Amino acid sequence: MNSEDHTLREITRRHFFQKCGVGVGAIALNQMLAAESQAAVKINPAFPMEPRQPHFPAKAKRVIYLFMAGGPSQLDLFDHKPELAKLTGQKPPASLMSGKRFAFLKGNETLLGSPRKFGTYGKCGMTLSEMFPHHQKIVDDVCWVRGMTTDVFNHGPAKLFMNTGFQAPGRPSMGSWVTYGLGSASKDLPGFVVLQSGPRGPRAGAQLWSSGFLPTSFQGVPLRGNGDPILYLRSPEGMTRERERKFYDAVAGLNKARLETTGDPEILTRLNAYETAYQMQTSAPDLMDLSGESAATLEQYGCDPAAPSYARNCLLARRLIERGVRFVQLYHTNWDSHGGPGENLNKDFETVCREVDQASAALVLDLKQRGLLEDTLVVWGGEFGRTPMGENRVTLGRDHHVDAFTMWLAGGGTKPGIYGATDELGFGVVEGKVHVHDLHATLMHLLGFDHERLNFRFQGLDMRLTGVFGKLVKGLMA
Amino acid sequence: MARRCGTVGRLNPFPEIGFVAARLAVIALLANLLAGCGSYLTHMLKLIFALPLLPMLSVAAEKLPDRVRYNDHVRPILSNQCFACHGPDDKHRDADLHLDTRAGALADLGGYSAVMPGKPDASEMIKRILSDDPDEIMPPPKSKKPKLPARDVAILKKWIAQGAEYEGHWAFLPLQKAAVPPLAKNPIDAFVLKRLADEQIKPSPEADAATLCRRLYLDLTGLLPTPEEVDAFVKNPDVAKLADKLLASPHYGERWGRHWLDQARYADSDGYATDLFRAMWPYRDWVIRAVNEDMPFNRFTIEQLAGDLLPNPTKSQLVATGFHRNTLINTEGGTDPEQFRVEAVMDRLSTTGSVWLGLTIGCAQCHTHKFDPITHREYYQMFAFFNHGEDRNNKGATVPVAVGEMFGKAPPAKAETLGVGELEKLQDEWEVAEIKRQEAAGDKANKKLLGALQVLDAARSGEQRKLAQAAFEKAEPRAKKKPIGNGDPAAKIVEQMVMRDLPKPRETHLFLRGDFTRPDKEGGLLKPGVIAAVNAVIPGSQTDFKNRLDLAKWLVNPANPLTSRVTMNRVWMRYFGRGLVETEDDFGMQGVTPTHPELLDFLATEFIRSGWSMKAMHKLIVTSQTYRQSSKARPDLAERDPGNYLLARQQRLRVESEIVRDAALCASGLLNPEIGGLSIRPPQPDGMYAFTLRNKSWKTSEGAEKFRRGMYVTFYRSAVYPLHATFDAPNFQAACTRRPRSNTPLQSLTLANDPAFLEMAQALGARMHKEGADLNARLVRGFRLCLGRQPSPKELATLRDYTLAQTKDFAQDEAAAKKLAGPALATLPPAEAAAMFCAARVLLNTDNFISRE
Repeated sequence: MNSEDHTLREITRRHFFQKCGVGVGAIALNQMLAAESQAAVKINPAFPMEPRQPHFPAKAKRVIYLFMAGGPSQLDLFDHKPELAKLTGQKPPASLMSGKRFAFLKGNETLLGSPRKFGTYGKCGMTLSEMFPHHQKIVDDVCWVRGMTTDVFNHGPAKLFMNTGFQAPGRPSMGSWVTYGLGSASKDLPGFVVLQSGPRGPRAGAQLWSSGFLPTSFQGVPLRGNGDPILYLRSPEGMTRERERKFYDAVAGLNKARLETTGDPEILTRLNAYETAYQMQTSAPDLMDLSGESAATLEQYGCDPAAPSYARNCLLARRLIERGVRFVQLYHTNWDSHGGPGENLNKDFETVCREVDQASAALVLDLKQRGLLEDTLVVWGGEFGRTPMGENRVTLGRDHHVDAFTMWLAGGGTKPGIYGATDELGFGVVEGKVHVHDLHATLMHLLGFDHERLNFRFQGLDMRLTGVFGKLVKGLMA
Repeated sequence: MARRCGTVGRLNPFPEIGFVAARLAVIALLANLLAGCGSYLTHMLKLIFALPLLPMLSVAAEKLPDRVRYNDHVRPILSNQCFACHGPDDKHRDADLHLDTRAGALADLGGYSAVMPGKPDASEMIKRILSDDPDEIMPPPKSKKPKLPARDVAILKKWIAQGAEYEGHWAFLPLQKAAVPPLAKNPIDAFVLKRLADEQIKPSPEADAATLCRRLYLDLTGLLPTPEEVDAFVKNPDVAKLADKLLASPHYGERWGRHWLDQARYADSDGYATDLFRAMWPYRDWVIRAVNEDMPFNRFTIEQLAGDLLPNPTKSQLVATGFHRNTLINTEGGTDPEQFRVEAVMDRLSTTGSVWLGLTIGCAQCHTHKFDPITHREYYQMFAFFNHGEDRNNKGATVPVAVGEMFGKAPPAKAETLGVGELEKLQDEWEVAEIKRQEAAGDKANKKLLGALQVLDAARSGEQRKLAQAAFEKAEPRAKKKPIGNGDPAAKIVEQMVMRDLPKPRETHLFLRGDFTRPDKEGGLLKPGVIAAVNAVIPGSQTDFKNRLDLAKWLVNPANPLTSRVTMNRVWMRYFGRGLVETEDDFGMQGVTPTHPELLDFLATEFIRSGWSMKAMHKLIVTSQTYRQSSKARPDLAERDPGNYLLARQQRLRVESEIVRDAALCASGLLNPEIGGLSIRPPQPDGMYAFTLRNKSWKTSEGAEKFRRGMYVTFYRSAVYPLHATFDAPNFQAACTRRPRSNTPLQSLTLANDPAFLEMAQALGARMHKEGADLNARLVRGFRLCLGRQPSPKELATLRDYTLAQTKDFAQDEAAAKKLAGPALATLPPAEAAAMFCAARVLLNTDNFISRE
């Protein structure tokens, strides 16, 4: 940030205190400044979501993260392995198995080729299975990351790792880091919104969008699929909008008075939360009202406007970023194709593919058509991949695999094409390995942040999304 | 100025079930004191505590400690500067030099050593630190660490000169009883003031009486004082007397019992995907009663961990063991019961570790702990204590308990029905005996029945099953009635799950990489055992452990260095928002060191000396001047101690989700103060279970039941009651030792629009109207009902202007006014009624209302 920006910001801040007549005493102001000294980013405590500049100019201005909860099978979707199919039923090579650990495999499993037909598509020559026909339409818009690796093979810790860079709960999620760094362009919707679809919520739940040690203003706000998008959004019957304005003003008046007396900066957050709540009462229903979307758009997404679904969430994601929301994260369950009830690799897998394929592709195409893809970063992927060995449950499935899986990125300065490759059985990455920390470093770079400098002082340490790890993967960037 | 000390990030693979135990990398904060003494300090002391003048406490900034101690002075420097390359991690060690152990530091490196006790100048470590040669100097330029400050070098030199003694990790050292500084009557104040004096900081004045009164009520009972109770206290602000009164209130047991239930991961459902209802409320009632009776914490521990193993256990002692039956149960089809049995055992272990020992034992499930002295083998020795349990996922021992029984109400004289477990047991016994009888009967035997009984239960044909059942019911008429289960939310007699060990202990092996399918048979059978590093500091401690009872007794052995420290630290955390050890769930190497080590040890030893009396400790804390300080922010501390680590003031704290509800129930006068019994179901919006596997039946409670305290709201693990979820109640997949405190727009919307709060606002409005003669009096009454204190003129004017404007507005719109007023205010003219509702709603939505100041 140059000094001019800084001066401007200081002026704005003083302006806020004068104009708004908050009358915040020197106490609270000092408190805030002290709190800020712990932060690498200067936060205006009264407007924590005030838009901020990143470290350097960047393409990506916002993020839509399509989180495929449970771990989709790269071997049945993206990473075509004819050799694996040939060896189906055979024991995996001992050299590949030594020292490996899996969540559920018992050691007697055999290799399992994909029963799905694959084709080669686009200029980049990406292989896609018949499960993802709509992805053929975006094959050259997307950066295919074939060499993802992670450290953890259980869902909860792995999801936390993918979201927060750490396996245990307590760290800020990527959405929190991004809104901490950039603020949000939306004044009346939360800067970081979470949407969920599928038969159940993702394991580890709200910890996945927690702000950890960052101020709570940066935690993700989940929207509900049914009824009002936000719980208790509706004012009591008899309260008009004007009356509610007066109600919120009266609450603010009392909170400001208490702030002056106690100097507790938490009251400033509370003031801000109430104002956002009031704004959300109109902005959220407006967001959810899909009547203005054309029939063609709805069809493109495969979205029934009345029914909650992944497709509707994809469309809502576009509407959210159009309204300035900085980080939208979708969670869709259930990709956990072990072979057990509700998660077999046959019908259940086909169902989840169908739920996800069309809308994911439609979102990319829709953003592109509206000129939004250029500065919107779309991320698609789960917490890990699935094993080349079959897993015997009620039916054949695959276990969790951490050493090689596929994700894709689109827009926001990413480089379309295929990046990385796995060995012929899909056990490991032979070229272009991208560890979760590297992915984080790269995504932050695309948003204009040096991942080593976007930090927050917590318990004496300058904490960051990537910990002490993470290197940029230049090949993912245009 | 405080020194910040470095740390190492850590990244361990650990399985899903244990991740509550793992914690972030942290640092030792505020290690060195830099001090001097200003005369204003003594002045303040005189003013505030009316104590005699104290000797000057002067320590020059440059002056080195007389005795340089490894933990306090040396370890922070080494950890920050050296351990990354010369520390415990085998994989990243340079020059094969360990500086983290004395043997490593003194090791012969070929005619010289890094550290030579008594000879700082001959020690290679000092030479290298002081070197100017870029190839020699430590830390090396490539580490990008700056040259060591002169004071650090001086400390290292003095330490070596004094013999270079290492110390064990502070939390594993025996409790130390430090001399109480002669600074105040209450030893807590003495330790806090000493620290503040060292930093030249004044404590804050006492909070005003009304605020203090509300603070005491909220902290000790979770309820609000009435304005009359506040008045009585303001007139006679005797904190000790009020503390006695509140500690004797049955609501004290609810408030502090609820804190304990967080750690016990108590909930009303099984967890996992199916998440069926379960009746564990007798255990919840046991906790409330035990806390109210001030059951000594050692007995409290033993009964919960091993009540079933006591001689002739009472029903109450069996119910207490429900503590460890709060583990999750997976009733989904196709599950391997052994897998979930093992997961429950592991959860019991990590819960015990985090609740009593403050250690992340779970990390040692797959490998030896990376930071703490817990070996992979020790993990499974502790595992063995719980591995003897007979319960297997959804099967296990239960006892029948009736509503009120835990509070001493006599159960129905003769049980007319049997519990599921009891019935199964009876049937098994009967079948074995009947087979013998039939076999003995020879030719007269009922061949068909015998044939049926000889087949395993599950393999019987339909006819055989009928035959066996009919014969059993004839012998045991009670079997005809549907057995008491624990799956009916409305049942007033339930079977509560309890602990019971197998007659012959199950064999325990170490699991390779924590995988239950890979027992290490070659490593041999493991006997129950404890962490050697902790056991080593307990004089005369046993080495031969049999069962959970031995473990429980070991935990509350007065010489156990962790249990009392960990427990008192958490008590402190509830009062000040943060423990003296901030990482209250990690007292291991990766946790932070205490901000006030001597105070922590004082509390821990005093706790034991008091006979493990929680009430005694609560009283000691709440009567301290430290607790009674104002929570107002201090401009002079904004730079120096914005986080209030030094305790120069109290802390404003947003109350927990249950208390948000309780406070509104108190202010509105709707509270039903009944204690214990069945859990309730206040109204909640549709679609709450959209993301659970099965829709739950949520039969809304009626009448007064609807207005019971927040802690009695039915707690489904997979679909938490919205108020609880929005205000950070945990989901109890694992023990929760500390709740986060978020502050979000969703909370605002809940307080503003949740029908439950609207109903309370209507009742509060009606109450304000009834209890005040005119508008001013009514509004003042509202402030006092909600906040305890009088409003400031500005606050009163704000609310008055709003209320008047609303009255005027609603006079034009009586239809709307009637809707808002609801039944509680129906007798008033609609516009006035609606305005009273509006005023009450504003009060319930203030930050002050949901904050303990």
